[in-house]
Amino acid sequence: MQVMSEIIDDSASPREGALLSWIQQFAPFGVVTLDESLRVQSWNGWMGQHSARKFEEIKGQNLFSLFPDLKERKLTSYFERALQGESSVLSTSLHRYLLPLPSPFRETDEGHMLQTARIAPLFSGEKVCGVVLVIEDVTQRESQAQTLHRQHRRDELLSWTLAQLLNSYRPRKEIRQLFFKVAEQLDFDTFLVYFGDVPAGTLTLDSMGGIPTQFESGFIDCPFLKVLPRESFAATVLNSIQTHEEPEYAVLRKAGISSAVIIPLSAKNRSLGLLCFATGTRDSIHADESDLVTTIGQYLATALDRDDTNQMLNKAKEELSAHSRLLETRVRERTARLQETISELETFSYTVAHDLRAPARGTTGYCEVLLEDFASELPSEAKSIVGHIKKLSNRMEMLTRDLLEFTKVSRQEAPLSRIKIEPMIKEILSFYDPAVRQAVTVRAPLYSVLAHEGLLQQVFSNLIENAIKFVPPGTAPKIVIFSELVPEGSPNTRSRSLEFSSTESSSPEEARTRPSPSADHVRIWVQDEGIGIAREAHQKIFGIFERALTSDLYQGTGIGLAIVARAMQRMGGTCGVESELGKGSRFWLELPST
Amino acid sequence: MELTASQKDALTELINIGYARAAAALSDLTGHRISLEVPEVAIHLIPEISEKLQRVIVGEVASINQVFSGPINGNAILLLDRGAAMLLNNLLTDRSAASDLDGAAREVITEVGNIVLNACLGAFGNLLKIQVSFTVPHLQIETVQKVLRSITVSGDELEYALIIHTRFHMRASDVSGYLVIILGVTSLERLLMELQKWEERELS
Repeated sequence: MQVMSEIIDDSASPREGALLSWIQQFAPFGVVTLDESLRVQSWNGWMGQHSARKFEEIKGQNLFSLFPDLKERKLTSYFERALQGESSVLSTSLHRYLLPLPSPFRETDEGHMLQTARIAPLFSGEKVCGVVLVIEDVTQRESQAQTLHRQHRRDELLSWTLAQLLNSYRPRKEIRQLFFKVAEQLDFDTFLVYFGDVPAGTLTLDSMGGIPTQFESGFIDCPFLKVLPRESFAATVLNSIQTHEEPEYAVLRKAGISSAVIIPLSAKNRSLGLLCFATGTRDSIHADESDLVTTIGQYLATALDRDDTNQMLNKAKEELSAHSRLLETRVRERTARLQETISELETFSYTVAHDLRAPARGTTGYCEVLLEDFASELPSEAKSIVGHIKKLSNRMEMLTRDLLEFTKVSRQEAPLSRIKIEPMIKEILSFYDPAVRQAVTVRAPLYSVLAHEGLLQQVFSNLIENAIKFVPPGTAPKIVIFSELVPEGSPNTRSRSLEFSSTESSSPEEARTRPSPSADHVRIWVQDEGIGIAREAHQKIFGIFERALTSDLYQGTGIGLAIVARAMQRMGGTCGVESELGKGSRFWLELPST
Repeated sequence: MELTASQKDALTELINIGYARAAAALSDLTGHRISLEVPEVAIHLIPEISEKLQRVIVGEVASINQVFSGPINGNAILLLDRGAAMLLNNLLTDRSAASDLDGAAREVITEVGNIVLNACLGAFGNLLKIQVSFTVPHLQIETVQKVLRSITVSGDELEYALIIHTRFHMRASDVSGYLVIILGVTSLERLLMELQKWEERELS
């Protein structure tokens, strides 16, 4: 109060006096007043405490004499301008401090308290009578800001490194470039990356930066293995390396390394290598730094592990696809061989059938000559034998004719088109007696199908002929033909009857003309009240030369249903039968609708 | 109210003198060569300023505000758009771009504003031979409207604003700032009168 009274105007109110007293004693910032010659007029308690100088010691002294560095730091003009009425702000970023006061933190490098200061004129009426300095200690704020800033930069570095490693398809190739940046950002001058197994000691140098060329060879065999604790997967910090006189530190000492962080790289309990960041300029590495590079090491290990997994996966994929290509080739080759064999067999059947037909016809002819021209000369037994020969050769001719028909069905081209079924049935029936025609009922509608006209005609001819033929003796045939729309491969028939599907041995050309699974299909039924077929025979009746009956009562070659099955197969359709002995038969055909 | 061509010239020259001092002070402070472009000067009605400035400054601005008093009264405000303020801080202090203006950065912007404003207003005072005193600068980060509203409300008689638009150049970067000096009617007349006297003195 004694000091302040000197600058308090006589007219000052008690309240103003109290305020000045507070500033003097308790204010949490420094307040200094100077007269027109910049001599110290007041110096508050805060100043006394932080400068360790009592007001009495410096009272009346010129501020520039007290703090000569104000001149050196070109700060005098602020005071001169304040005397002209100007107020100024001095930021800590641009000046660090106004008055050199000791730092509240001993560890601060600078040794000075960081300050924000205001220099303002003091007015007496309209005239400037002095200068006031207000000084704020921002050391702690700056230190916190710096920590935050450092943290921010490290976070950025971590994010950047992570992004680089995640975005990279081949992290191993980018390590060098990546770690040059990391080392630079973290104030390390050296980095080394080894790949391999740390516990097994099989490490290979992948990349390094910062090692003087003449010492590089010393790092090919990882020198850190000798100084690492055994079986350790944790990061290890080596400080004051230059003072270690043990031989295992020799390589590091020679290369000028003062301190280093060594991070074994591992993922899923698998050792992947070793990462090292080092410096020749600092004797120790702070825990923050080693934590940071350890995190980077973990990122790298994860990226390497991911890379290994990807490579394994790619290799497996390649192998799988090579294997599948091989299988495809084999299937193609075998299919081709099979088709060739089928084609040869069909040619053989055709040739045999064709060549057998003439001798059979000849035999029949000679039998007829014998029976007609030499009937009177032949004993009755001989006549009977010739009759048998004629009958047998007739049968042989029938067989060869049907066999030729069958091979023709297999060999002929079968382009598909829209076929109306009803006219086709009518045409077939026109070859029969009116009595037979009357036995057949066509239940409309018969849906149109995608088929080959000639083949479909053969199919219906065979089915209708069978229905007419296979009736109990003395019974008139009764046949109903009708159709329905079904989804492809309707299950009810799959389970109950034999199918001849084109998938069994269809050629690729036929496969392409097949309809898609979503297409509607037409199922046509040919139903009779004939003798029926035993369940166990359902399977074989569609095979060539297979007959359900052994009785001579019903003549036939056993090729008709084989032709039906083969023709359906050629058209991409299916067929089957539902029947029981003595209860009639229901043959069905399934073809794509149009 | 419009400035005549000669008044505009005189004001521009006067402010240019102040700017030279500011540029020198900033160069000294940072050790980098800093130049300030020849400013453009105009006088506007205060309600018009907001609209005019909004066309060139979008979003928040850093405003450094100093009230001055004496024969000429008013409020001097330096406006920098937020991005420019951040860039200026980074250039001056060599700190990498922070995401926001922290305490230290705010002080730097305040000090720069203080230097420029002091230089301008000091030049007025020196050359016009009048004593003007200023308050300690105050930094606000607000939208242009809010900054201007806070001024117009506090000073009823302040009607006109002298707007000085300038650009700082430093290390090939461009930091633009608006210096708005808001003056009362009588003060403006006084300023123009003093300006006239200064011209006459210079010519003689």
